Amino acid sequence: MRFLAKAARKSPWIYRINAGSCNGCDVELATTACIPRYDIERLGCQYCGSPKHADIILITGPVTVGVKDKLLRVYAQVPEPKVTVAVGICPISGGVFRESYSIAGPLDQFVPVDVNVPGCPPRPQAIIEGLALAIEIWGERAEAAA
Amino acid sequence: MTEIVLRILSAVLIFPGGVFAIALGLLLKGVERRLVARLQRRIGPPLLQPFYDLAKLMQKETFVPDLADAGLFLLTPMIGVASMSVAMALLPMAGVYTPSAALGDLIILFYLISLPALALMLSGSASGSPFGALGFSREMAMMLAYEGPILLVIVSVALYVGQATGGGVTFDLVTIVRYQINHGPLLLEWRLAPALLAYLAFIPANLGMPPFDIPEAETELAEGPLLEYSGSSLGLLKLGAAIKAVVVTALGITLFWPNGPAGVAGVLVFIAKHMLVVGGLALLKAGVGRMRIDQAVLFYLKWPMLLGGVALVAVRA
Repeated sequence: MRFLAKAARKSPWIYRINAGSCNGCDVELATTACIPRYDIERLGCQYCGSPKHADIILITGPVTVGVKDKLLRVYAQVPEPKVTVAVGICPISGGVFRESYSIAGPLDQFVPVDVNVPGCPPRPQAIIEGLALAIEIWGERAEAAA
Repeated sequence: MTEIVLRILSAVLIFPGGVFAIALGLLLKGVERRLVARLQRRIGPPLLQPFYDLAKLMQKETFVPDLADAGLFLLTPMIGVASMSVAMALLPMAGVYTPSAALGDLIILFYLISLPALALMLSGSASGSPFGALGFSREMAMMLAYEGPILLVIVSVALYVGQATGGGVTFDLVTIVRYQINHGPLLLEWRLAPALLAYLAFIPANLGMPPFDIPEAETELAEGPLLEYSGSSLGLLKLGAAIKAVVVTALGITLFWPNGPAGVAGVLVFIAKHMLVVGGLALLKAGVGRMRIDQAVLFYLKWPMLLGGVALVAVRA
């Protein structure tokens, strides 16, 4: 079963969750980090329409009070093993929204975060580096699970 | 008796169904993804990416939603793979493989080809998700639209070969292939040109490729019937789709252009013909957006239906 785990390393499917983000990081994720110029499909990545297909979860936004429960529900629907990446400064520390009455974050209180990609928004190169780190962790988890 | 059973089993499980169809289907999927990437000036995934994806999905956790009918939900992905493996064993490959007469003819094949779409509808409705239900209704509308034209195409070819071989209509695939080997491929027969066009239009709709990927529309339905699937059952659904691509193209090859050398070279020629179709599908995928469901249904009821009817009349006249 070792070769199965080896193959899994080459097939990390990704899913985006917007946890109250201003959309800046989402734009970076959707249109910059994934446009032809920075093609991440060459790493085997593929955006999924459903959390149930995903392996790596990219979370943006400071986790607002309103979105917290929904975030946790969606997060629970990603099958194990999975890897979490916090994209942008908001999920890491709250960013400019820090200590606001409407913010439940930071993210690592609720879900285990594996990789932080700081920035407001992070550069595409930073997002891709974060994804590369996440893919390493994903590969180790897949091998441990096999 | 045992010999026939063994032959059929090996045809369904190893060549040309089963192992061969799976390997070819996944490879063609990889080629297609790579081609689309190149057309968009990207590097694209490795050629073996679909194999990696499948291996990965087989190891992941499999969820069954609370609202789903668990038995049906887990059964339907298997129907797709099984029916397509059997369908592949029905299709002759000129000079390489002749199916046993016990397996069946074009009519059985037509039935088998519509099974995965039915299974997908069942998956959508069994998943208990509103997206699945929407995907179900769209898949049904698509099927009602494209089944008519494809039936006309099949009957045109059957009638043409039947008349030429001195009978009425022949649904025997071996006869159709033998006729073309002796008299040249039907690809070059002008009276069947509308039928060929209608078949080419049928391929993307049956395979759920753009611009007809409406039932699984990723951006609006979040993959519709596939939405609630995860792990190994999602892997089986993807696998079924890959084999289906091989079967639908292989049926086109059988009906219009089965000619090829014997032995290993014959298999290579067969694969090369598949590559031609995959090239066309990749161009389509990179070049067009998605139609609305009403546009697609109207399109199929108008043009391929008309072409199929014209072919039938031209052959009969």
